[in-house]
Amino acid sequence: MALSCFLRSVSGTNIDVNEYDLVNSAMQDDADDVIVTGSCKTNFTAQSTTEAVASPSATRNVEENTVADAHTVEDVQFQDFVEETMLVLDELKYPYQEDLRLKPLPGNHLLSSFSFDMKSESFTPGKTDLDIDQYSHYTVFPKPFKPLLERTATRQLHLRFTRGFWDAESWDTLPYDGFKSGGSGVELWAIIESDSQENAYRQWKSLANSLSGLFCASINFIDSTKTTYPVYAFHPAASEELPLFDQDKQLYLIRAALANEPVCTENLTPLIKLLPTKGKSGLSSYLDGHKVFDSIWHSLSIDIETQCDDLYGECRYSMEAMVDMVINVPNTIERVENPIPKPVEADKLRCDQTKHFDAFVCFPSSDNAETDFLFSKIFGKSIRGCDNFASSPSRVCANITDDWSFTLKVGDDYLGLDSNCFELNEGVEYDINLSSANTSSVTVLDEVPLYVSRSLTGYGQDHGGLRTVFHNPRSQPVRAIYFETLPWFMRVYLSTLQVDNTHSNGSPNVTVEDIMQSMHYVPAIDRSRPTHLEYIIEIPAFTSFAVSYQYDKTLLQFAEYPPDANHGFEIESAVITVVSPTDYQIRTATLLLSLSTPDFSMPYNVIIITSTVMGLIFGMIFNLLVKRVVTVEEADKVLAERTIKAKLLRLKQKILSRIGIAT
Amino acid sequence: MESFRQEGRWSLLAVVCLAVTVRCAVTAMFPSLQQQLDQQVEFSTPMTSYKSLREGLFLLRHGLPVYSGGVVHQPPLLLSVFSRVPNCCHRYLYAVADGVVACQLMLVSRALFSRTPGQRRVPTWVVGLLFALNPLALLSCVSQSTVSLTNVALSSCVYCAVVLRNTWLSGVALAFASYLNVYNAVLAIPLFNAFNGARREVCLFTSVFALCLALLLLLSGSQGNGGAFDGSFLQATYGAMIRFESVAPNLGLWWYFFIEMFQEFIPFFKGVFNVFHVGVTPAIAWRFRGQPLYSFVISLLWLTLTKPYPTLGDTALCFAYLPLFAPLFGYLKYPLFSTLLFLHGVMLSPIFYHLWIDLGSGNSNFFYAVSLVYALALGSIIADFVWAMLRMEYDGGSPNYKRRLTQI
Repeated sequence: MALSCFLRSVSGTNIDVNEYDLVNSAMQDDADDVIVTGSCKTNFTAQSTTEAVASPSATRNVEENTVADAHTVEDVQFQDFVEETMLVLDELKYPYQEDLRLKPLPGNHLLSSFSFDMKSESFTPGKTDLDIDQYSHYTVFPKPFKPLLERTATRQLHLRFTRGFWDAESWDTLPYDGFKSGGSGVELWAIIESDSQENAYRQWKSLANSLSGLFCASINFIDSTKTTYPVYAFHPAASEELPLFDQDKQLYLIRAALANEPVCTENLTPLIKLLPTKGKSGLSSYLDGHKVFDSIWHSLSIDIETQCDDLYGECRYSMEAMVDMVINVPNTIERVENPIPKPVEADKLRCDQTKHFDAFVCFPSSDNAETDFLFSKIFGKSIRGCDNFASSPSRVCANITDDWSFTLKVGDDYLGLDSNCFELNEGVEYDINLSSANTSSVTVLDEVPLYVSRSLTGYGQDHGGLRTVFHNPRSQPVRAIYFETLPWFMRVYLSTLQVDNTHSNGSPNVTVEDIMQSMHYVPAIDRSRPTHLEYIIEIPAFTSFAVSYQYDKTLLQFAEYPPDANHGFEIESAVITVVSPTDYQIRTATLLLSLSTPDFSMPYNVIIITSTVMGLIFGMIFNLLVKRVVTVEEADKVLAERTIKAKLLRLKQKILSRIGIAT
Repeated sequence: MESFRQEGRWSLLAVVCLAVTVRCAVTAMFPSLQQQLDQQVEFSTPMTSYKSLREGLFLLRHGLPVYSGGVVHQPPLLLSVFSRVPNCCHRYLYAVADGVVACQLMLVSRALFSRTPGQRRVPTWVVGLLFALNPLALLSCVSQSTVSLTNVALSSCVYCAVVLRNTWLSGVALAFASYLNVYNAVLAIPLFNAFNGARREVCLFTSVFALCLALLLLLSGSQGNGGAFDGSFLQATYGAMIRFESVAPNLGLWWYFFIEMFQEFIPFFKGVFNVFHVGVTPAIAWRFRGQPLYSFVISLLWLTLTKPYPTLGDTALCFAYLPLFAPLFGYLKYPLFSTLLFLHGVMLSPIFYHLWIDLGSGNSNFFYAVSLVYALALGSIIADFVWAMLRMEYDGGSPNYKRRLTQI
């Protein structure tokens, strides 16, 4: 910490103070202080003094985008300066990069994508930290991961925490083409090197348990009933080379998901702690759990890959952490301004012009066409720029149309650029301002190549159907991989699989053979394996159809039901990976399956009553089988002999006959 | 005598035709009835449902591993037979199977009554007709549950042992019955009685049965994988049944008991229930060793009562044999009670199941209660018939209904 802060302050000085050598030397002194205290805050004060000196030189009283040129010129000068004088310090920069991308979406929504990239120091494969000659040093790469990845021989790790609803019909494609967001809940997949599938599973289980502790999530609930080994989906691109440290072993791709697992601040906080800035500076200072999870849709993702250099036999881990969220801007601001909702004041009330309104009746207009807000209002904090140790500066970019203006607030000044992309390389407080006169004007991305929705059909609690509707809105046929995992208590009958497109107008008729090209099916085993279904499907242009099949619901044992059994069981989302014409990944919504339940208060009663009935029947028949059949008179006679009185009488007679008294 | 034979032949043909036609007609008239009945827990269980048979055929046809999952529990040879018949013809196979059972029933009835003339009897055609038009048998056949096929094997076994007195064929038939449902192997014990204690016959029967069953298992294991024996089906077919792996509601005593049982005791009680299921048969067979058919039917009733996955199709076969014991009817103590109890169980079970599963206005205890009533009904029928037979044995062929007897 002390080391990185030192570097931060030194390089910060370096960036800000290009001409003022005096200040530079003063800053060095300040930096020495920083080493002692080891705190970023000190660093801020040091840098703000620098800023006070530096800002007049930059003349940044910007109205709109006019200062862009001056800014870039200054950057060039600064680059030259670095190359000439600060070579040693430049080498001490670390492979870390952070980005924030903003994109207004229709309906006054805003997509904010934070991305944090970092790389580990290079290491020699096969040597663990315990080896005496292995030197390991953690810089920007989070410390918990390396031992974990080594212990479980994990070559790639992908973790997703996603919740909320992505409105694909109005917001178009998901950020990063859907490859960085999971299904609702937690999703984890990894590539693990092992000698057999059993061992790979053991390593996987260990990995899941460790991640569970690391992210305060229930990932430890991943067991063999949730784990699958994908065959077509989730495979890394062919161009990616996966390192194999031991040539006798193999790589196993293993995946599991926990549907509708709550994603909350307790998952975000550990994620922020993994970043070298720890949420104290840089873009991550925007990330506040209360605000992130107040959004309509949010996704946290972590991807770790192992990259090896064959030439030197050295590898390094690279990690990408992403936080994406969609917020409804007016609602969020409203909640900040009026924590206790109040009716809109009369002079601010805008009525819906399409409906009748007068002095007494007013339907409020749903959308504000104008907007102007500071991000500190939405996120509750502003950016504290303090990540100057990074090899490239923090960037904030916006993907907006000309109707929008995107400015960076530095102190009291507002900066604007044509490229709508800012590099934050000063140790000051930043804020972002976004304003527009017409919020409905947003940049148009590609239309989603495929719409998929899945639902449960049927009404009883003993059987039902699963129906997946595919809709291709484009003029090209779409080829996709459909991946689905269902819990074992859904007994799937794949023989009932059928394609139905009778309800879509004008679509050509398709059959199962036409659209499904190859299928991988692993049926479930009770209590030990889920159903795993994958197929490659081709959806013709402008076509929609439904693929459906039937399943039976089984009963569970009394103790296997969750405490809220009547709520239902979460079924994880299906994953559809479009492979042509574009690469895209979609996930359907999760499903809620209700199973029939026994009466949980009955165990003793059932055990007793069933046993009684069995005993009754058995007793009746056993009696009949073993006893002798006699007439009632004979029975009476025999029974009379068996009474105690008769026995006593007999005894008495015996005794009497012994002692010679005949009766 | 000849005219009787002639008349019998015509009535036999008529009843068999009627049985087959009614079944085909019902299937043709109500095409969705098959699926509906296949969902009914009274007629189909995870072990015998047509759905799982279809799934097995589907997996077989697509070269997927049939027994690696938990859905298919039908033995491999059955699947391979069905895979050679087009799907649309399966229903006729079932109808013919029931026709064969009706025919064999009538032949057994005729042979039985011709051996004991002068006894109170039910006409042969009535015996056939009672099975042909028994709604339980009819619906079970329409549901295309594989119970119908097990029934053919069992009925052939009785036919061969009682009418033909052919040790070989009855051994083979029982081997098929046991191949379809492993618990049927226990029925070999009451069948020993059919050979009047001839040790040679019993040995022959046992060895034919064992050899044939071993052959069937070998054939199934080596099927489709180049001759190497693959035992995975044993676990999926017999293991799953004995270990009661898929807990589904049915009319038996097992399902609710094992849902509600505490985890630690489940293996123990599975053992107890298995012993309970098979343990009484030897006692019945020994006590009624002079009555081969009777001991067989009572054993069959006991198995139906204590099965892990019972259906009404099993019960229908047992009931089809009851008219053959017409001489016992006079001795029954409480036939009305048993009948009403049985009707009560059978009629209320779909209603209570619907209340629990579909409407949600009842809970599982409703259906559980009905399954207990059903078990009591079967129990009282067995007990009553056992008593009647004891009574008849006491009377030694000349019924004296007025004599008051008891047991000590």
